[in-house]
Amino acid sequence: MSALLLAESFAERGARERARALLDAQSFRELIGPFERLASPYLAAQGVVPQSDDGCVVARGTIGGKRACVVATDGRFLGGSVGEIGGAKIAGALELARRDAERGTPTRTVLALDTGGIRLQEANLGILAVTEICDAIVALRMLQPVVAVIAGRVGVYGGLSLSTALCSQIIVSEGARVGLNGPDVVETESGIEEMDSSDRPLIWRVTGGRMRFEQGFATALVADDVEAIRAAVQHAFEAPRELGPLEPQAFPDPRLDLDTFLRAMGIES
Amino acid sequence: MSSVRGRAWFERITGGAELVTGLPPSVLAADMTLDGHAVRVIAVVPDANARFPLARKGDVGIDEGFGVAHAVSGTPLKSAILAIVDVPGQAFGTREEAVGLQRALAASANAYIRARRGGHPVYALVVGKAISGAFLAHGLQAGWIGALDDPGIEVHVMSEAAVARVTRMERADITRLASEIPATARDIRSFATFGAIDRIFEVGNPDAPSDVDLEMVVRALAGALRTPELGLRNPRERLDRPGALQTRALARRVREELQAQWDA
Amino acid sequence: MIETLSYEYPASDAVDRRAHVGVVASGNCEILLEPARNGNASVVVRTSVTGFGATWNAVLARFFVRNPVAVQIEINDFGATPAVVALRLEQALEAAR
Repeated sequence: MSALLLAESFAERGARERARALLDAQSFRELIGPFERLASPYLAAQGVVPQSDDGCVVARGTIGGKRACVVATDGRFLGGSVGEIGGAKIAGALELARRDAERGTPTRTVLALDTGGIRLQEANLGILAVTEICDAIVALRMLQPVVAVIAGRVGVYGGLSLSTALCSQIIVSEGARVGLNGPDVVETESGIEEMDSSDRPLIWRVTGGRMRFEQGFATALVADDVEAIRAAVQHAFEAPRELGPLEPQAFPDPRLDLDTFLRAMGIES
Repeated sequence: MSSVRGRAWFERITGGAELVTGLPPSVLAADMTLDGHAVRVIAVVPDANARFPLARKGDVGIDEGFGVAHAVSGTPLKSAILAIVDVPGQAFGTREEAVGLQRALAASANAYIRARRGGHPVYALVVGKAISGAFLAHGLQAGWIGALDDPGIEVHVMSEAAVARVTRMERADITRLASEIPATARDIRSFATFGAIDRIFEVGNPDAPSDVDLEMVVRALAGALRTPELGLRNPRERLDRPGALQTRALARRVREELQAQWDA
Repeated sequence: MIETLSYEYPASDAVDRRAHVGVVASGNCEILLEPARNGNASVVVRTSVTGFGATWNAVLARFFVRNPVAVQIEINDFGATPAVVALRLEQALEAAR
C-alpha cells in the first residue's frame, strides 16, 4: 500500500470495527460474539428489537505487541446504552484484567465508550453494573493504566461518564462530548431557561472534547483519525500521564474561580 | 421540594456529635462511636444558600460530590463509614455540566472505593430518594446497604418525564412497565430483589424517626459493624447473593463465558 | 409491539462460513447468517415496524432467486427500507462466501 495520508474516521465505524482498529492488525478475537446471542431479554416487551451483541463488543488481541483487551459500546444501538449484558461485559473484562495483573501477566485494557449512559429499559440492572464497573476500574488502576477512548458520535454521558472519569488515561476527540446529564435531560428536569438542548454551539462549548481537554479532564486530544487514536492509546500505555487528583484540597475549591470560569464560557453565574 | 430525612436521620444517629469542618454546608459528617465501633457518618442535605442554585434541594452537585469525597478520604484510621442516603438527584444544570459534574461525582465514588479497598468498612442507610448518579456517588459503593421500607423511597436512573422524552414512550406505558418489569421499577422492594439491599426496615415515621425506629435501625447497624467483612464486600459480590442468582443470572453467565474465552 | 416473521425458500448452494453485518439502529438492521444443514433457506425477522410481511417476503424471495444459498438468517430490524435490507443481505453473503 502506498502511504496515502488520508484520515480514516474512527467515529464512522461501529463498535466491532473500532475494537479491531485499536488492536494490532490481525490480532482481533471477539469474546461472546453475536452468534452466542446473549441479547437483552428485557427489550422486546418494551417495543425494542434487541441486538445480538447487546451493543457491546469485547475483544482480545495485542496492542504494541502486548496482551490487550478492548471493550467498545455501539452508540448506534439504543444510544450505546449499558444494560445487564453490556454492563457485565465491561465489568467482567475489567475484573479479568485485574486478575491478570495480580498474576503478573498484565493485559492492556481500553474502554472505547460511546454511550448515553445506563439503559433506561433495564435501569436497575444498569446502575448495579455501573457500580461494579466503577469499582473494577479503580481496582485495576491501582495496578496499571486504564485507558478510556471517547471518540464516538454520542460521547459519554450518564453513569458511564462517572465511570470514565475514574480511568487513569482519557483520550477524547474534538467531536466527542462528555457530561453527566445530557442536554435533553437537563432541559426536561430544569427547564429550557437552564439549557436549550437545540443550542448545539453551547453544548459543544460546555461539554465538547476540546473543552474537557483544556479543563485537564482528559490526557490527550485527538482528531477523528484511526491512526492518531491508535498512537494515542499506545502512548497512554508506554508513557502514562496521570490526570490530576479527583479530590479538591479545600472548600470552596481554590482552583475554581466559578464566576470567571462561567463568564468565559458565556454562561451567567 | 427539599427533603428533611437525610438531616433527621443523621442528627438522630450521631446524637449531636461534633461536625467535621472544612466541608460545604450541604455535606454533614461526624465521627462517633456506635456500640463500641468507630464510624464516620456522612449525609448530603439541602442548603438554601448553596452557590450552585440547582443543588439547593439536597441534590448531589459539584460541591457535594467533592465534599463527600473530602469527608470520606478524611476518615480516621480504623473507622468505618456510614452514608446516610437521601439524594433526590444530581444537579441538572448548565453550570454543573460546564464545570464537570461527572468528575465531582466520580470523586466521591472514587473516595468510597479507595476507602473500602483500603480497609474501611462502608455501610449505607437509604432513608429517602436514591437517584441515579447521586446514588452512584453516595451509597452504592457500600459493602452493606440497609433501607427504610417506605413509598417515599425511590431508586431510579431518571425521572419518568425524562425517560418519556429519551425513549419516546408514553408516561402511562412507563408506569405500567415499571409494575411488570422489576428492572425498570422505582420502589425499594423491587430494587432489593437484585441482591443489593441487605436489610429493609419498617419504621413508623421516616421523616422524624421515633425512639423505637431509631433503636431498631441502630441495633441493626451495630450488628453489621460487628462484622466488618460485610462493609468490606465489593459490589461484584452482590452477584452471589441468593436473590441475584436468579434475577441477575445473565450478568453471572456473561462473567462465566468471558472467563472461559479470555485465554483461548 | 414487535413482530416476528418466518420464511422458507428452496436453496441448493452452500456457503463456507457464518457472517454478521449491520446494526439495530433507526433505518437499519442487523443480519446473522449461518450455513444451513437441511438444504433449505430459512429466515426469521424480528421488527419493531409491524404490518410489512408481504414486503419482507418480496425482498427475501428476490434475494434467494438470485442466490439460492442454504442458510439460516436472522434479521433484527429497526425500520430498514427494502433497499437497505437488500444491501445488508448481499454484504452478509459476500462475507460468508
